[in-house]
Amino acid sequence: MKRWISVVAVLVLVLAACTGGTTEDTTATTAGDTTVPDTTEGDTTSTTAAETPDTTGAPAGEADGTIIIGTTDTIASLDPADAYAIHDWELLKNINEGLLRWRPGELELTTGLAEEMPEVSEDGLVYTVRMREGVQFSDGTELTAEMYAEQLNRLLTIGPDCPNGVANALATPFLESIEALDSSTLQFTLTRPVAYFPQLLATAAFLPAHPDTFPADECVTFPEAPVHGTGPWYITEYTQGEQTVLEPNPNYTGELQPQVDRIIIRYFSDPQTMALAVQNGDIDIAWRILGAELVSELEGAEGLTIGAIEGGSIRYLILNYAIEPMDDINVRKAVASAIDRDEIVDVVYGGQVEPLYSMVPPGFIGATEIFDEMYQSPDLDAARAYLAESGYDENNPLELELWYPPEHYGAATADWMQLIEQQLEATGVIDVTLQPQEWSTYVTALTGGEAYPGGVLGWFFDFPDSSNYLEPFVFNGGLGTMVTSPEGEPINDQAAQLVDLLNEASVEQDEDARAALYEEIQEIYADLVVTLPIYFETEHVVPRDGVSGSDEYASPETLNIGPNLEFYYSVLSEN
Amino acid sequence: MSPLALIFLIIGIPALIGLAYIFVRGSAGLRRYILTRIGLLIPMVFILASLVFFVMRVLPGDPVRSSLGPKGSAETVARMREQLGLDDPLIVQYGRFLGDIVTLDFGNSLTGGRRPIIDEMSERFPATLELVIPAAGLALLIGIVGGTLAAARRKRPFDYALRLYSVVIYSIPVFWLGLIFQLVFGVRLGWTPIAGRIDPVIATTLERTTNILWLDAIITGNWAALWSSLSHLVLPVVTLGLILSGVFLRLTRVNVIETLQMEYIGAARARGIRERIVVGSHALKNAIIPVITLLGLQVAILLAGAVLTETVFSWPGMGQYLVQRISSRDYTAVQSVITMFAMLVALISLAVDIVYSLVDPRVRY
Repeated sequence: MKRWISVVAVLVLVLAACTGGTTEDTTATTAGDTTVPDTTEGDTTSTTAAETPDTTGAPAGEADGTIIIGTTDTIASLDPADAYAIHDWELLKNINEGLLRWRPGELELTTGLAEEMPEVSEDGLVYTVRMREGVQFSDGTELTAEMYAEQLNRLLTIGPDCPNGVANALATPFLESIEALDSSTLQFTLTRPVAYFPQLLATAAFLPAHPDTFPADECVTFPEAPVHGTGPWYITEYTQGEQTVLEPNPNYTGELQPQVDRIIIRYFSDPQTMALAVQNGDIDIAWRILGAELVSELEGAEGLTIGAIEGGSIRYLILNYAIEPMDDINVRKAVASAIDRDEIVDVVYGGQVEPLYSMVPPGFIGATEIFDEMYQSPDLDAARAYLAESGYDENNPLELELWYPPEHYGAATADWMQLIEQQLEATGVIDVTLQPQEWSTYVTALTGGEAYPGGVLGWFFDFPDSSNYLEPFVFNGGLGTMVTSPEGEPINDQAAQLVDLLNEASVEQDEDARAALYEEIQEIYADLVVTLPIYFETEHVVPRDGVSGSDEYASPETLNIGPNLEFYYSVLSEN
Repeated sequence: MSPLALIFLIIGIPALIGLAYIFVRGSAGLRRYILTRIGLLIPMVFILASLVFFVMRVLPGDPVRSSLGPKGSAETVARMREQLGLDDPLIVQYGRFLGDIVTLDFGNSLTGGRRPIIDEMSERFPATLELVIPAAGLALLIGIVGGTLAAARRKRPFDYALRLYSVVIYSIPVFWLGLIFQLVFGVRLGWTPIAGRIDPVIATTLERTTNILWLDAIITGNWAALWSSLSHLVLPVVTLGLILSGVFLRLTRVNVIETLQMEYIGAARARGIRERIVVGSHALKNAIIPVITLLGLQVAILLAGAVLTETVFSWPGMGQYLVQRISSRDYTAVQSVITMFAMLVALISLAVDIVYSLVDPRVRY
């Protein structure tokens, strides 16, 4: 036996001696045999690796300007013509810069690759944008308008057949063509005027993809690293489920210059583990998705700051106009009157979310609190009065079925649905039955509009504009509200008025006029109780001491992450 | 060459050579037994794969709707179902699935970018191996040593303590034990990292060949990576190993106690052989045989335990992959992983049976 152990030990040593390269060699291999200029202190990396073995999970980034960000998200696609998840967009927007982008921490658009904001034709159908001169990808390839147009056309041509298959929805309904007028001028022709088209231009779907990595006729969800872009960073390597490494783009000349040598995104399968990792110093920042309970646990922990971002993610009830008893407006108004949002916020979430009184969250154009003004809920007397108009009373109670997915939006969904059940039953005239259902079955049935009278749904905008919080719930079946038919036919005159106003607002170029239109729309929307907004979420970012955002932009306390949840890694610095 | 292929070569070639040797040198009965077991593997895998295929489709849920959520229009859903072949008749899908298994191709996953499943397994299987092999070793070590010592000190406080340990440790949920270890050894004491396979910065310096990180670190002479990967292994391996050790400990203890009552042990003691040698050598050799059988049976439990351990420690292995894909109703990925697990369990059981016959000369096939 001893002889065997000796033989194995000698073999291991010989193997190590024969193949053991220096760590510098290893780093070079990792970076890949590309033309990427190595300006990222590869030697420092090697030295760190060789000299500081990690025994306790001490902050790994301290030695060489590396910031490690934890997330429970995963990469679903890195192709701009395909990507549609929040984390994918976050990565894409850090490695690419589009024509327009949002200022860090705000909902205000600014120029990215564009020299100035787009010129719009009088009929609102043609947008002309001039690009900055000399824009290069991180591998040195120059970006021309012709190349940009060709890449954006991928969204229209191959986008629908990509694995995720929905990013093209940000272009196909509105976009007729994309052309390069010369090497630095792009022209977008729309099928109809779209007032929020500049917002669409700032989404990840309109980012320029590298033509060598993303060919015109093929969707490449997981390209080989390095993944080059025109933004402040490029991806040097990524391993699914483990980590993504970003280093500064040496050719980037824009405003968002990186402040550190490297960003590493580390993936966790469990938010609890991520919370422990940030406490332990294994990561520098805990980012999405920390639930309210974990945030409460982290409050007061030494060396951590909790940044709360009132994000654009909302929760609401879909009430189906095509199924009894929700086809009765009195029933809808009674439900709207009986629900106590404050109780949900306080009891279930300990104040970590905010009550929502319109589908359009605060801060968006024309946002109001119309449900509060109109129903002043909880008002049980009003609820009983509405129900009495439809013949319901203690002897003839309304029987109501409400559905929810117990796992998809977190365990708290069941808690607040039970609270809603209690609130509705407190009227004495409503008998609620709660029905849990597995997510994929649930979402098909609810949004199909043929199965459930009511159920919970969540929404996060595709682009930060009020239209994106209203149109999906009205047009073409409205995701199961059935306030219009799947073909788009409104159920009554009020619904028809709602459709007309939404169409009018979507083409209105004057911002004040748009805001006024959305105020009017929300009033009709609330009167019809198309959906019932409940609360909007607060996202949390938890950096360790020594990592900070930029004072040049809004919300440095949340690392300049604004309500659109755009996280620009370039604002991060170590101090 | 993918890490998966490389690992199969590293494990498979010696296993095949060993099998060939046993086949040639073994008795006719053993040869017949091996052939029968290999022959039975095929219907077993077929039945299990078929079962998984149909159960996945009977369960509520749909991979397309699950990934698209409320934002996918009816046209998008229909288009994707067609692209993925989900609107084909069930029998066509079943035939395609069986064809994929026969060619060991497994097809493409339905969600997460529709990558070839063999590539995804290739990335993740080494991580699971890296976890379960030392965990099994630790469980055996604790079980055999603890069980033997408990038997030797029967009905003494040490014996009672170990028996209590074996019951308690077996009944603790693995995720709870993992969480406690993370809190105590990671956060409070700061002795170990609490999640992942390697320090993220050091990971950027490591060239991966087998994707078993400590092995790659040795191959490339990256000692910082070796240290980091080993330190990251500590908590998940100890968690999984401890959970499994209870059952080995109890079995070893019972068998050693039974063996110690046999006549040849009495004879050995009468000859004046020291008690340590009587227990550790004479008794343990015979007592360990049922433990080896149990090891084969425990492989399935080990893999099931790995699913939870990988989730708690954010360990990007097959278990974590399986959990993610079950929740997104990725039929092909789930079918493929379970089929692969089944083949693995069957092959290890076969190997254990063969080893059993070598360890115990009384066994005849």
